[in-house]
Amino acid sequence: MQINEIQDRIIEEMSARDDLTDKYKYIIDMAKELAMSDEPLRSEENLIKGCQSSVWIKVECKDDKIFLRGDSDSLVTKGMIALLIRIFNNQPAEQILQADLYFIQKAGLSAHLSPSRADGLAAIINHIKTSVKDTMHA
Amino acid sequence: MNEQLQHISTNELFERLEDPEIKIVDVRPVDAYNGWKLHNEVRGGHMKGARNISAKWMNYIEWIEIIESKEIKPEHTLVVYGYEDEQTDKIARQFLKAGYPDVRVYNGFIDEWSPNTDLPMEYLPNYRQLVPPGWLHDLLLHKPVPGYSNNKFVICHAHYQNRADYEKGHIPGAIDVDTNWLESTETWDRRSPDELKKVFESLGISYDTTVILYGRFSHPTNDDPFPGSSAGQLAAFRCAFIMMYAGVKDVRILNGGMQSWLDEGYEITNEEGKKQPVSDFGSPIPSRPEFAVDLPEAKEILKADDGNLVCMRSWLEYIGEVSGYHYIEKKGRIPGAVFADCGSDAYHMENYRNLDHTTREYQEIEKAWAKVGITPDKHNAFYCGTGWRGSEAFFNAFLMGWPRISVFDGGWFAWSADEINPYETGIPKQLDR
Repeated sequence: MQINEIQDRIIEEMSARDDLTDKYKYIIDMAKELAMSDEPLRSEENLIKGCQSSVWIKVECKDDKIFLRGDSDSLVTKGMIALLIRIFNNQPAEQILQADLYFIQKAGLSAHLSPSRADGLAAIINHIKTSVKDTMHA
Repeated sequence: MNEQLQHISTNELFERLEDPEIKIVDVRPVDAYNGWKLHNEVRGGHMKGARNISAKWMNYIEWIEIIESKEIKPEHTLVVYGYEDEQTDKIARQFLKAGYPDVRVYNGFIDEWSPNTDLPMEYLPNYRQLVPPGWLHDLLLHKPVPGYSNNKFVICHAHYQNRADYEKGHIPGAIDVDTNWLESTETWDRRSPDELKKVFESLGISYDTTVILYGRFSHPTNDDPFPGSSAGQLAAFRCAFIMMYAGVKDVRILNGGMQSWLDEGYEITNEEGKKQPVSDFGSPIPSRPEFAVDLPEAKEILKADDGNLVCMRSWLEYIGEVSGYHYIEKKGRIPGAVFADCGSDAYHMENYRNLDHTTREYQEIEKAWAKVGITPDKHNAFYCGTGWRGSEAFFNAFLMGWPRISVFDGGWFAWSADEINPYETGIPKQLDR
């Protein structure tokens, strides 16, 4: 699936949840589904600076496609990371760099994220895009 | 979800006030919690022991994390109170749905609790210096506002060499204040008394002008060559400290800065605020020299039994992983300083703010400080890299009415610049996480 198709699906899924508690549960379910890995992710190397919660992201490139892993000590943030991984995983680097992440607004996240958490989400996206750029030049 | 909500009476609540199983949740705005009488209640502030979870935050997807961060758990009995019964009921139901099974509604705050002086209440001692957006809005409309009897005020939109931030929209009537006008661009310390006098006079600020400061938070990141340009509310606290040191008697901060103003739906403008210079500041500068300490005094405070040099830097700066600034090379900490963790980096103060950038519940700050020995009986000098975060912490302590507080203005920048000053890196044993 292409990035925008996945975004549209997320918008649909979020829109089906009526109230905030249900939307919250959806995000938490996403967090719980985030794949566990044998390789420890919570290292200083993968830690993103500039987020209130601790956030670890690892970006790798295989066969010209980007693969992400992520974790956080905040369930909501972890859920956001899960959504981003769902959108970006297995996509070409160029498309990730060009992606317009409209799902944040259309899925109601912009309206229902606190300013502080929105700042954190922006920092995570920024970090992912910078890391993707770095893997292209590696 | 239409089942009957349980209610609690004033008498029962009073009797159970000290019960650790009861958690009282105040869903009114943070400013009401702090002390502002937003609905003409007889006494301002909140019920003793109440925790503030503003109804506004219930619109955030992560509101449950806010509840958890306040150590309110499903096994507790929650008592929810607010200004309006309908809103209080709605929030009580939101708690029930989120898995808090024992929720009671208390509807007697305005009519029974607030007027009865036998029923204990608490408030932030200097809450008047942390103003709600509605107060500022009324002031601009020349309506009478509580806690203000002056006839001159100046509203300052603070920023760091980023006038574009002001130009893209500011509170009507506000003038822009660049922190560079108040602090040296070489040392990042407060400017000399003569320089400050000229700047204040040009801005129309005399010692008896009421000054209300605010800034815009716009996602500072370390990828930016000047991250401070995006940390406007932090800049506002920095300016507030320098004005207080200089001698401006009534310095106030708009709680939450531009974010709070916009959240209330108030308009912003591109029309330039008019500066109305005054001929004389009218008081010696500094009138409150004790508010600022420099290197020699900072060293004395480190040695003193009744003093704390309070490090308002982030963990990674404290352990020497990063310097925190593009223009500071040395990484590490001042030995003996007490760590009071600002948050994620040099341009964020998450541990001192709510998720909407309003100032955090003061008891939470007080509790975190007490844990590391930062208490009001001591002389606490707050510092960071160059004084911004130190200024916000200073203002917090000022709001709490602490008597001996200062900013160690030079901070890590001044300390690390002189090679004779010792420094440490790594994780101190007592703080091993």
